Amino acid sequence: MIARETILSLEGITKRYGDAGVVGPVDLTIGKGEFLTLLGPSGCGKTTTLQIIAGLLEPTDGRVSLSGRDITDAPPPQRDMGLVFQNYALFPHKTIFDNVAFGLRMRKVARTEIVDRVTEMLRIVGLPDIERRLPDQLSGGQRQRVALARALVIRPTILLLDEPLSNLDAMLRKRMRHEIRELQQRLGITTIFVTHDQDEAFEMSDRVALLDRGRIAQIGTPEELYDAPTTRFVAEFIGDANLIDAEVVSADGRGLVRLRIAGGSEMLARTSALDLGPGQGALLMIRPERIELADAAAPGTLPARVRQRVFSGERITLELDTSGGPITCTKPSLPQYRQLDPGMQVWLQPGDCRALRAS
Amino acid sequence: MAAAADRRFGIGLLTPIGLLYLFFLILPIGFFLSMGFFKYDVFGLYKPELTGENFARLVVDPYYLDIVALTLKLAGLTTLFSLLLGYPLAFFLTRTRSAWRGALMFLVVAPLTTGVIVRTYGWIVLMGAEGIVNKTLIAAGLIARPLQILHTETAVVIALVHILMPYMVFPLISSLAGQDPNLERAASTLGASRARCFLEVTLPLSRPGILMGSVLVFTLSAGSVVIPQLIGGKDVQMMGQSIYELVLHTLNWPLGSAMASLLVLLQFSIIFVYFRSNRRVRR
Amino acid sequence: MSAADKAGRRGWFGLRLSVFLIYVFLMGPIAIIVLSSFNATTSMAFPPQGFSLRWYGEFFRSDSFVDAFLFSMKLGLCAAIGATAIGFLAAYAIVRFGGRAREAAQSAALLPAMIPHILISMSLLLALNFVPVPDFTVLLAGHVLICLPFTIAGITASLDGVDAQLEAAAWTLGASRARILGEIVLPLVAPGVLSALIFAFIVSFGDIYIALFLAGPGMTTLPMEIFSYVQWESTPVIAAISTLQILLIVGLGLIVERLVGLRRIMRF
Repeated sequence: MIARETILSLEGITKRYGDAGVVGPVDLTIGKGEFLTLLGPSGCGKTTTLQIIAGLLEPTDGRVSLSGRDITDAPPPQRDMGLVFQNYALFPHKTIFDNVAFGLRMRKVARTEIVDRVTEMLRIVGLPDIERRLPDQLSGGQRQRVALARALVIRPTILLLDEPLSNLDAMLRKRMRHEIRELQQRLGITTIFVTHDQDEAFEMSDRVALLDRGRIAQIGTPEELYDAPTTRFVAEFIGDANLIDAEVVSADGRGLVRLRIAGGSEMLARTSALDLGPGQGALLMIRPERIELADAAAPGTLPARVRQRVFSGERITLELDTSGGPITCTKPSLPQYRQLDPGMQVWLQPGDCRALRAS
Repeated sequence: MAAAADRRFGIGLLTPIGLLYLFFLILPIGFFLSMGFFKYDVFGLYKPELTGENFARLVVDPYYLDIVALTLKLAGLTTLFSLLLGYPLAFFLTRTRSAWRGALMFLVVAPLTTGVIVRTYGWIVLMGAEGIVNKTLIAAGLIARPLQILHTETAVVIALVHILMPYMVFPLISSLAGQDPNLERAASTLGASRARCFLEVTLPLSRPGILMGSVLVFTLSAGSVVIPQLIGGKDVQMMGQSIYELVLHTLNWPLGSAMASLLVLLQFSIIFVYFRSNRRVRR
Repeated sequence: MSAADKAGRRGWFGLRLSVFLIYVFLMGPIAIIVLSSFNATTSMAFPPQGFSLRWYGEFFRSDSFVDAFLFSMKLGLCAAIGATAIGFLAAYAIVRFGGRAREAAQSAALLPAMIPHILISMSLLLALNFVPVPDFTVLLAGHVLICLPFTIAGITASLDGVDAQLEAAAWTLGASRARILGEIVLPLVAPGVLSALIFAFIVSFGDIYIALFLAGPGMTTLPMEIFSYVQWESTPVIAAISTLQILLIVGLGLIVERLVGLRRIMRF
């Protein structure tokens, strides 16, 4: 990853809601031009964090700094951030032009410059010639772009996007993912994106911060989160994961451990929990698409019996029973896998195993 | 701090209403009500001497005692009849599927907006010695001389019911409209007759509306001045009107204030009873 | 089944009949006023004998009535504007910054509706004996007080319908709180504000309790003029004035009904 100059940092940000719960402490830094996603299930604190960054909510504790300046107590108008809301929050009584021009007018930009910049921005988001219309005359996708234009036209230091795609239909949502990402890269604007949708997060982001019950469970590139989850929550939230109870047989102290699962089979796994030692309980994680199937027993293979085969077009999902418990395995829909009927015996050769701390 | 700025802004927004309420509502009313504890003075407004005689007079002097008793009686009757007339109206308005529902609803509010005076005047035209009712009866040969309709308790109650009924109808509509009509349907499929269904399902569920409406009508009728004055005249004296007389004509502010305190006490004890019974209903 | 149905239909018919009679009772006196205002003779005969507009003419020739009418209009306008402006600010504070104290603040704001109006006006009259405030100011303050519960209730209901995110959006775009109030919130609740204005005017225009005690010399409102007139004599001029007032108010009421629905303001 390219080293970036830090533009925004959160230090120990905490928000208490009476007895309703706590968000944080959250520590986070974002580099200039980076696309960071706050990902998590509803109620994990991602929108609260975003609103604290925008200045709409005041943290109970902690510090927010923008380019080294403490802005914890600064109201939103002093922050220069563009926020796009889930429901777009376009002013229903103002035309599209006036909606987009609003932020520039508040900044007392000259009238002729306003016209130029609004026109230019509407062209950039692909919506020329709708300036005189009112928001309720637009489709959901168009409103989405207007909201984006309104947030971008003020040339914010950071663009904040709060689940901006969740009100669009599936087709449009996919297209907008790419459009927003492309726009972000073209303008080089630092962006923080909030979503509960893992596909969105992965397709768009440089880095993803996965939140769980108010805290960051793990932060990293999409590849890091997928390949090397550090907790059961991350492993289960991101993609599909087979998680099997195991016991540590040996560990080299540098991230490689040997695990034994019920039934006595042993496998090698990488781990980020360097303190795992022999005799301790652990979780063995295997991604369903990283499992090779073999017809005969070999060293390092795990005997299994096919319980179910589900055909879904381009893919085949096999439900298998092993001594360690049920395991799911996905395969491309090729003839050799279509022949695997319930009851048949196979041998599994798991690849890229990870060992997680037992939860 | 953002929150502190918000608080300042909120307080700023509330400053006009706060000043208005403080200087034109709370302080004057507090001062007026405290007058009741001072001695009456023929030449000034009051004598700065504390006394309980004003309140004592209200309870001991049969003249004022009668006024209090009559007020309770007429306000009670007004509440009762407003409920008896308002309930079917509210029930109809919440259950009808007529296209005229909106218009009918508007007709219930409309009289309220014309002001007390105009509506009272209508009753004078109807009930006066030279009024329409008497003229019609005489013309029909039913009576020889005009009946005394104005200046009777009946006339006051009729006029009060007429003027205050919307205040009964609206809470009733809220509580009846909030009910699930399926409950009634369920009860009737279980074999309950319409009457039983009404008595055992609809009526108990509309209790909050009945209470709210009754409190409103009772307090408003107990405090009314114009109707007793114009329709009741000297013969039907109620508390509101008596306060008016005491302050404006007799210039006995302390006694008027004591009467007003009694009225407020009456109203707030009724509101208190309302909240208590309402809480019980919710539980 | 069919017997129960028949009983049900008979019950429904009985209900409709009684509702009809209740409407006759509610509307009767008002209809009588309107009809007798067109009476050709002095007496209050009913049905009216002949049709004439002479009582309307008499009204317009009477300086005292016309003055009272104009004064009521002026007072009503001032009170409505005052109560709407103050009520709008208060309602916004209650809705957006009320937090957990919202219920309590809302009840406190409706205080003048819970106190008998006669008490408000007499207290102000008493206070006038000690604090010299111009008569019109006190009268206006009294009217603003009795109108406020209605404007606050109406505008609060309208504000509840405004998406708070619009204000948040304006805020992040750099608008100050005051700009947000003027440029975003006010236009969005304009129908509610306008109907609150009209409703406050209606309340002020129909008031007698405040004016009776607080109106100084030369400040006779229309209801006061009618009140003092009706106590001594009954003439169809009163019916003509009342009819005009009813027309004015029903017209305004219909506008409010069109804008937001009277019921929303009445239910507080």
